[in-house]
Amino acid sequence: MDWECCWSRDHIEADHCPYVGEGEEDLLSSQRRRIVEKCVECPRFKNDLARMKGAGYPLSDVLPFILTEFQEQKAQMGAMLSFLNSRTREIKFLREVGLVLQTSIDLDEVLSIAMTAITAGKGFGMNRAFLLMTDKERRNIRGYLGVGPRDYEEAWRTWEDISRSNFTLRQLARDFQKTKLTSEKVKFHDILQRLTVPLSDQGHIFNRALRGKKPILVENALNNPDLDRGLARILGVDTFLVMPLISRNRRIGVIIADNCITHKPITLQDMQSLETFAFPVAFALERASLYERLQEEVAKQKAANLKLREQQELIVKMEKMALVGKITSSIAHSIRNPLMVIGGFARTLLKGSPADDEKRSYLESIVRETRQLEEVLSEVLDYSESLFPVTDYWDLNELVAKAMGELEGVMKGAGVACRMELAPDLPVVRIDYKQISYCLKTITTTALSAMELGGELHVESLKEGEAVLLRVTDDGKPLSETAQVALTTPFFQTQELGEGVGLSLCKSILERQGNTLTITSRPGGGNTYSIRLLTKKENI
Amino acid sequence: MAKLLVVDDEANIRLLYAAELSDEGYDVVTAGSALEAVEKLESESFDLAVIDIKLKNESGIELLQRIVKERHTVPVILCTAFSCYKDDFSAWLADGYVVKSSDLQELKDEIARVLAKRQKAAYT
Repeated sequence: MDWECCWSRDHIEADHCPYVGEGEEDLLSSQRRRIVEKCVECPRFKNDLARMKGAGYPLSDVLPFILTEFQEQKAQMGAMLSFLNSRTREIKFLREVGLVLQTSIDLDEVLSIAMTAITAGKGFGMNRAFLLMTDKERRNIRGYLGVGPRDYEEAWRTWEDISRSNFTLRQLARDFQKTKLTSEKVKFHDILQRLTVPLSDQGHIFNRALRGKKPILVENALNNPDLDRGLARILGVDTFLVMPLISRNRRIGVIIADNCITHKPITLQDMQSLETFAFPVAFALERASLYERLQEEVAKQKAANLKLREQQELIVKMEKMALVGKITSSIAHSIRNPLMVIGGFARTLLKGSPADDEKRSYLESIVRETRQLEEVLSEVLDYSESLFPVTDYWDLNELVAKAMGELEGVMKGAGVACRMELAPDLPVVRIDYKQISYCLKTITTTALSAMELGGELHVESLKEGEAVLLRVTDDGKPLSETAQVALTTPFFQTQELGEGVGLSLCKSILERQGNTLTITSRPGGGNTYSIRLLTKKENI
Repeated sequence: MAKLLVVDDEANIRLLYAAELSDEGYDVVTAGSALEAVEKLESESFDLAVIDIKLKNESGIELLQRIVKERHTVPVILCTAFSCYKDDFSAWLADGYVVKSSDLQELKDEIARVLAKRQKAAYT
């Protein structure tokens, strides 16, 4: 019989079978493979079978059964192969994600990987995902991040961009972290804000998923009276998946995933895959947030250590100052009495000497020099005395008014007008009255020395948080930085300022009681001296 | 003529006080220690005592406390190089307080003030 199909021939030419395509030329010379791969599906072969039946071939009744069975088996094999392929892809993908999750301690990187994996076509391919996390106080689950398009146009744009790029999942996640993470956090802010649920709300689907440690697939939520429609309304979809994130029995949070754009059904296989993925995500999230908290604690600890070191340095400085104070005080006292005797008797002699006595000038020199030495001694003794303050509660404005009153004559002599601006409702401050009064007077005298041409001195008191500020501002020559350092370092000598302990004593007095003295200069002219006095003190 | 008792453990300072205060017209008796001062206060009568805070063995403050305790009515001016003693409660028992200086004017003014106050109190 002359057959339509080529099944009976060992070798055929390319034009004998229209189903042998390019690249399949080896089938032309392999009869067996050609029959299995091409002929069983070929309509010409079906025609040949019909002709066989008509001609009374004995096997023509049986062959169709075998062929149908063969085709079914082949289809099943194909389906299994595709399932295996998809599983292999999934394992590869999970391995890739798992590797990153295992090694990352950066919360943003973990989030980017997790959310990209859920929403990327190369991952689980869901349209949109929301991550909700348990707050630090462990009271509520709060919306933290949403990823996905807001509408069809955005979806189309994004998916087209992604399909054009040849990124691996890890590259996609990196790109997401770099370019989109911040904007995505803002994009779904409105939805995220409404997703807060207390952990104590046992009936809520989030808590049910966490308690059951299993994902829950919500379908047809808007028409199902057993379900909370509120959540579906917030999300704008009636089918979504709630996946709990649990690590070592700790409730880390929940992921909600949906197909809000394509409305593709969520399959059991989707659910199972996501469930496998949830464990490493939860673990990585927990580790990354713990690491973040640890970093915060380390930063706090570092700041505390720095402060402690500063305090220690201050204490050492204070101890040195105290020692200097003790030595100077001891020297000053032993000098003072002889000095008094020298100066005192010189005065006595001066009083008794006639006006034209040429030795009078010698005596006057002794009196003058002794006086000067006594002044230096007073300053040194004031310094050592400042190390032992006597504190009490005082009205700062009263102190300012009194001290400035005492300096009225000096200011008038220097051609300086004083403008006082004292806040009326200042709290009382715990200070050594004498010392603060000394500081104010020393600052004023220093300020006056910068106002060679006279001008206006502005003295003000004001409340600032837990402290009271006392500010003296001159409009004289601005102090150089060296001059500022010099002013607050004992016996530091500069050409413009000479040598002394004045402001350094003030600084030391103030710092010993937790107060501060700062000097700022304006380039255009003028300096501000600020004393900051704490109103709340416990260890004085 | 007002009679003053000057107490200081430095002989030269006693000498200076004696010279200067005698010039001012006071009758000046000196003592080099708290013990000597107490002996003099018991045997003689004074219008005022000028006491240095820093004395050997017993301090000027202790001497002041003793004077008050033994009901001597003599007014006391304390002298010292330590201005911080102004804050000492015991020092408040004194009628006057002067920081030591080669210029005795402040001391002289203080003596005049305390004596005048005393005289006024005696009249009333």
